Amino acid sequence: MKRLHAVWTFALALGLSATAFATPLANPGWGLPQDASVDGYRVDWLIHSTMFFVVLLFVIMVIWMAIACTAHGRKHEAKYEHGDGRKQITMALSISALIFFVVDGNLFYHAMTDIGERFWNFSYAEAQPGAVRIEINAHQWAWQARYAGPDGKFNTQDDVVTLNDVRVPLGAPAIFELASTDVIHSFYLPNFRTKQDAMPGMINKLWFEPKETGEFDIGCAQHCGINHYKMKALLTVLPRADYERWLKEASANSARAWDPADTIAHWGWAWTNPKPIEGDEPLPAAATAQAATPSHQEGI
Amino acid sequence: MDIQPIHPAPTAFLPRYVFSKDHKYIAKQFLWAGLLFLAFGGSLAMMIRWQWAYPGEPMPIFGSLFLSKTGGVITAGLYPSLFTMHGLIMIFFAITPILIGAFGNWTIPLMIGARDMAFPTLNMLSFWTFLVSQMLMVASFFMQMGAGAAGWTTYPPLSDSVGTPGWGQTLVVAAIFVTGVATIMGGINYITTVIRCRAPGMTWGRLPLTVWAMWLTAILNVLFVPVLGSAGLLLLLDRLFGTQFFIAGASAVNGGGDPLVFQHLFWIFGHPEVYILILPAWGIICDLVSFFSRKPAYWYKGSVYAMTAVTILSAVVYGHHMFVTGMNPMLGRTFMTFTFFISVPAEVLFLNWLHTMWHGSIRLTTPMLFVLGAIFVFGLGGLTGLFLGTISTDLYLHDTMFVVGHFHLTMAAASFLASFAAIYFWFPKMFGRQMNQTLGKAHFWFSAVFITLVFCGQLIAGYAGQQRRLFDPYQYTFLHQLLPLNRWTSICAFVLGASQFLFVYNFVVSIFAGAKATDNPWEVGTLDWATASPPPYHNFDKVPHVQRGPHEYSDPEVKKALGRDWIGQWEEMPGGTPAQAAPKLAAEGSHG
Amino acid sequence: MSASVTDILRYPSPRERDENTAWLGMLIFLGSWAMLFAGLFFAYGAVRSTLHRWPPAGLPKLPVALPAWNTLVIALSSAALQTGYVRLRRGAMAAPFVLASFLLGTLFLVLQAVLWIKVWRSGLLPSLGPYPSAFWALTAFHALHVAIGVGALLALAIGTARGIYNPARHLAVRLWAMYWHFVGAVWLLIFATVFVL
Repeated sequence: MKRLHAVWTFALALGLSATAFATPLANPGWGLPQDASVDGYRVDWLIHSTMFFVVLLFVIMVIWMAIACTAHGRKHEAKYEHGDGRKQITMALSISALIFFVVDGNLFYHAMTDIGERFWNFSYAEAQPGAVRIEINAHQWAWQARYAGPDGKFNTQDDVVTLNDVRVPLGAPAIFELASTDVIHSFYLPNFRTKQDAMPGMINKLWFEPKETGEFDIGCAQHCGINHYKMKALLTVLPRADYERWLKEASANSARAWDPADTIAHWGWAWTNPKPIEGDEPLPAAATAQAATPSHQEGI
Repeated sequence: MDIQPIHPAPTAFLPRYVFSKDHKYIAKQFLWAGLLFLAFGGSLAMMIRWQWAYPGEPMPIFGSLFLSKTGGVITAGLYPSLFTMHGLIMIFFAITPILIGAFGNWTIPLMIGARDMAFPTLNMLSFWTFLVSQMLMVASFFMQMGAGAAGWTTYPPLSDSVGTPGWGQTLVVAAIFVTGVATIMGGINYITTVIRCRAPGMTWGRLPLTVWAMWLTAILNVLFVPVLGSAGLLLLLDRLFGTQFFIAGASAVNGGGDPLVFQHLFWIFGHPEVYILILPAWGIICDLVSFFSRKPAYWYKGSVYAMTAVTILSAVVYGHHMFVTGMNPMLGRTFMTFTFFISVPAEVLFLNWLHTMWHGSIRLTTPMLFVLGAIFVFGLGGLTGLFLGTISTDLYLHDTMFVVGHFHLTMAAASFLASFAAIYFWFPKMFGRQMNQTLGKAHFWFSAVFITLVFCGQLIAGYAGQQRRLFDPYQYTFLHQLLPLNRWTSICAFVLGASQFLFVYNFVVSIFAGAKATDNPWEVGTLDWATASPPPYHNFDKVPHVQRGPHEYSDPEVKKALGRDWIGQWEEMPGGTPAQAAPKLAAEGSHG
Repeated sequence: MSASVTDILRYPSPRERDENTAWLGMLIFLGSWAMLFAGLFFAYGAVRSTLHRWPPAGLPKLPVALPAWNTLVIALSSAALQTGYVRLRRGAMAAPFVLASFLLGTLFLVLQAVLWIKVWRSGLLPSLGPYPSAFWALTAFHALHVAIGVGALLALAIGTARGIYNPARHLAVRLWAMYWHFVGAVWLLIFATVFVL
């Protein structure tokens, strides 16, 4: 009876977990939003592999409880044991250790590599040819984006500044530096599986590399006041040629319209030094030469 | 040689019914206050759910009662106050007073064999301080610019005078400070009482796990609520006296305050706080699983070690709430590692519960059902925490409804169900009457099923990418299709809310007209069941002398000697004498 | 009605009379309060570590001499109170020492007020940034605790003089002495971190 219980429990648990793992990745409906990022699969895979384990463990637990309540109910005679024998303690600790090393271990390993190789590896992003740098200034309740323009320097006459309209080219990383004029906002890109807070008094960074063209949502993910729910912007991924064309034209337009007296509009800052993190690839010479002095140390 | 001599109960009205120093009475005061605010906080939740299910439409009942100025419609201006006050009320004014204020006060002296807390006057003051904080909270609703509206997390600069001006937010921060003071007063009492007032023979290894849990909770309270106090104090100084702790300048400007410091202080409190809210539930679950499986608690010491480990580790994992704030990546990785570690003690606790049930003789009483429900939802919720403690998945899931689903399952659902387990379990002892068990079981099934559905609905919405705290999620293209999901979740929430009336009716009617309860209707061996239902003012006529642990069930020796499957902690084991009734440690009817 | 009110004030519970328990309670309370101050110091340290210059450009440095004298004053006050307590337990005359402690505590508050007026007049208002904010917040919050202590010390001084506190009954003095030493220790930390460093 006991062995049969165990077999059925495990089979059911395995079946449900496999279903969970096989959950369709793309929308519509209740699934993850469309994955438009080169590295998005890492997050999706980790979510689904963990979901497999989570469902497995949860179903085992529920079936265990169900069998206990039915087969070991009022009519069953309870076993007088305290569970503090050496064998029992070893068993309990071994099961815990197994779960810890398998499930938590999987999460730990992949998270460390995912953030170390990609998500928080800004030197890698900066080193890719054609990487685009964009400065984001968050307000209550809109997103401004600034492009350096042909001269490669921020806060100059040829900068392109947009409102709620971020355009990036396909085939290269888009690197963002985030700031806020008032309260904390959070630059959220659901289709690229990433977000980062825009903190007043600090400059935060985020990057991704798109893998397909299209229009995607940018959302605010940190409560920032009454219109937090409306603080959306549009991210457009364009083919490289279209992007370059747009940037050139927009830059020429803004150079013509540039007003030296409008200091509020000149909110840009010198791009901060990409700081190498241990284990990351080394900084290429070009990136260090171009960077200006950092304007603010990273907080704790 | 009595540690605490018997003293007569006060007879005058004020010291007996208002400013009572009797821990049992104070426990009931906390229970009423907590249940009232649970209803209040729950109503705010219903309003939030209405907005997501039927955006822009006038709300029935609530609309005509509270929203007449806007024609019954919830506006974007009101909405931030709804989720802010819902969170603050549920955490500080509902769960805390019920699990810690009421059941901490009720169980600790009775279960350790004491006549009262170590500092009864301090106990009375802690309730009244708490009541003052509740009043401050309520007052904030009547302020011109509305109640607090910066989220329960109160992050500056939004919560600062610049982001949310007006007295409402200030009163809310002040209310939190004052309730913190009340909590610390209680914590000092609980810690000291457990250390100093245990009955003879009540060693640390014989304490019920509920007492262990309450004691560890009190330690966390005493250490970390003051840190919230410091954050609140600095925020109040910013709001009222123009200091610049958290107000930062515009982009790329040096100097000025640092909003991130608030987050550090807040979460150094905040993470231990979630353990403060769940530890009492864990302790109650540990004990009740043993009581109703008629089996000793599996690996008692392991449960104690697990709860202690969680207590110690709770302070070093707090950074997992701040992964996307731009903190140093090394620090981020450290917090992630510790967060994985803290999952291990919870695994040990679960295994202990499951093993206690296995080969037990399970009685599916109303309290046991609620305990099983709590284990179910906490298992689900705890496992979802894995996704959030991992940095790469958290980059996507942070500040989505997935987080909301996770903490509601663990913090709200598990504590909610455990609170009801405690209420149904200790009701006969507290009021001398039994609640209606059929209504209780119906209440369980509705609550457990619908609470699971509501918060699973939130998990799914978060998985699909819906952010938190959105007045109208459907502004976003990628969230358009979630209206049916949110509507369905809301309907489950409305059923959950409505089904609580089963409890309200049962609770109120049973207090006055419930069947009279015996001294030990559940046949349980902890010291509180050795005295009358309800206990006399001085708890025990004769302070019990403890002989054994609290989970001695189904001992064959006991079955042979006494003819039953349990033996009380206070009972002498007869040497082969015929079965005898458990001696009463207090006469019935001698209560104050 | 009056009977019930005095009932509340005078009704002593047996447990409260046990001295060791009260000492433990006080210890836990002070631990709790230490965590509150720890939070304030953490905030101060965190804010200071993110700024390159302290004090920031254009803001005057805080005076050191006056707070240094105050440190001496409060240290002497603690010493006086402790001496008074030890003498009280022995049965020797303790009232002058407790009174001295009270007077020194009052002197601390007076000198603190002088410091505040001086800093205010020099233009260092709290709204100028985290540097003055830290100074005003820490000193004001600490002074609030000193004021409470000073009130207690007055009551203790009177009680000791009247013989209410004696070798058989001195718990209140013991507990307030613990509080007073704690407040003094916090001042030492404030002096070191805000004025000296």
